[in-house]
Amino acid sequence: MRSYLSAFRLRRRMELQYRGAMVGGIICQVVFGLILIALYRALYAGKPQAMPLNHVVTYVWLQQAFFRMLLASDPDLLDKIRSGSIAYDLCRPVSLYGFYYARIMAQKITGSLMRAVPMLVFAALLPDGWGIAPPSSVPGLFLSLLALLLGLLCVSALENITMAFTMRTLDPRGIQGMLNLLMMTFSGNILPLTLFPDSWQRVIAFLPYAQLLDAPIRLYTGDAAPSEAVRILSVQAGWVLVLTALGVWLWNRHQRRIVLQGG
Amino acid sequence: MNTIRLYLRSMRMLMKCQLEYPVFFILQTLAQLVMEGGEMMAVILIIDRFDQVNQWEAGDLFFFFGIMSVTFYLTECFGRGLTGNFPSLVRTGMLDTLLLRPRGVMTQVLCSAVDPRRITCIAVGTASLIIGCSLARVQWTLLKAAAMAEAVAFGSMLILGLFAVEAVFCIYSVKSVELVNALSYGGRSACEYPIDIYPRPLRILFTAVAPFALVLHAPASYILDKPIYGWPAWTAFVCPLAGAAFYGLIYCIFRKAMRYYRSTGS
Repeated sequence: MRSYLSAFRLRRRMELQYRGAMVGGIICQVVFGLILIALYRALYAGKPQAMPLNHVVTYVWLQQAFFRMLLASDPDLLDKIRSGSIAYDLCRPVSLYGFYYARIMAQKITGSLMRAVPMLVFAALLPDGWGIAPPSSVPGLFLSLLALLLGLLCVSALENITMAFTMRTLDPRGIQGMLNLLMMTFSGNILPLTLFPDSWQRVIAFLPYAQLLDAPIRLYTGDAAPSEAVRILSVQAGWVLVLTALGVWLWNRHQRRIVLQGG
Repeated sequence: MNTIRLYLRSMRMLMKCQLEYPVFFILQTLAQLVMEGGEMMAVILIIDRFDQVNQWEAGDLFFFFGIMSVTFYLTECFGRGLTGNFPSLVRTGMLDTLLLRPRGVMTQVLCSAVDPRRITCIAVGTASLIIGCSLARVQWTLLKAAAMAEAVAFGSMLILGLFAVEAVFCIYSVKSVELVNALSYGGRSACEYPIDIYPRPLRILFTAVAPFALVLHAPASYILDKPIYGWPAWTAFVCPLAGAAFYGLIYCIFRKAMRYYRSTGS
């Protein structure tokens, strides 16, 4: 366990290095947030919906703030696989899956917290109707934090599955790229899942992508009442188990058949 | 003329390179389809839920989305050298080799890459344009076709100009600056919808600073017979020139920046 923790810690330190890129990233994400909110405000002015505008605005800010949790990959690993230096990792007396899981999680936690905190402070200072609304209730807040943690486990497991494919195909941009892009649509980043047609939502809410950010956000805004939390959290936990099991299986399989690129 | 021949020749060569690995190429092209398809799905779902924004109806919204996608991805396809590779050219010091050759740096950069995977994005944009035209019952005339061509041509120049801004930032600070993405990609996201639905600060940003509204929305709204802000017809032909002006301005700055370029030496 200690070795995984230190992999986690090292990776966290590395992510903390790029503060300059972080400021640029935050500003970029804030502009995107403002553009989306302006769009939804204009749409709501024409035809108000059952779901209050306030919730949509909060949804957009939380999605933008934790954007880094969705899209952050480990370029080192890809390089290692392509250059063949993954051989060194294979010598380590740890499970490779666990090792990379810890690294990815560190990157995602650090990256998203560093960006989320300043962005959410900024969003909280904006006037009503533009800024983020407070959580619907105290239990809702705690439940959404719990859901966020499960979402994090889920997205790290997804990322590891993507990397298992990379081991075989040596390039992250084929099927894997497609999986990532599907994630953008079905995690609610492009359009809040709450604005999808109601009949679709019943299906989409059960996809793994909806467990990452959509589930915690719904608990935060109160779209999902705390009484529904047990169902939501168990769906999330179920996906964490399934995705982790699938990832471990794929890694073990591909690890045995990996071709070391010499050079 | 010689330069254009050179460009076309490099494009042909690079296309051939890309098609060397067909399976890989097809997969990547499909990935692009998933990406742009997702964006278009968002527009479809928004229209499904909200019907219209202000005076803009479904057809108009598809048209605006389409004209932006086509223009943006045509630029990304043929201007890949500037939109994608420039930061790494600076970081690795590869830009030095370009300085030795008897051609302009910009020409060589543009000749250095092409991105045919974007074809699916362009196709999605075209489909959206066609849907938009038929829903909005656009009556095409020669003038409208001219306005359309002008919008796409000058729109590409504007987008190239925005990526050149990023290149200038790169030259001064060596690292690619995400800040500029707020203008280029932010502009793309915002101006997939007509500019007049946005509050004043965003309208100013995308009219005066990065003039997407002048270059794309003025002609598009003319084609749809719903002139934006009630502007007269001639503005649809004059406003897009802002794209050329923007590119010209940034190009001058780029030339200046190149004089300060210091190799990373690696």
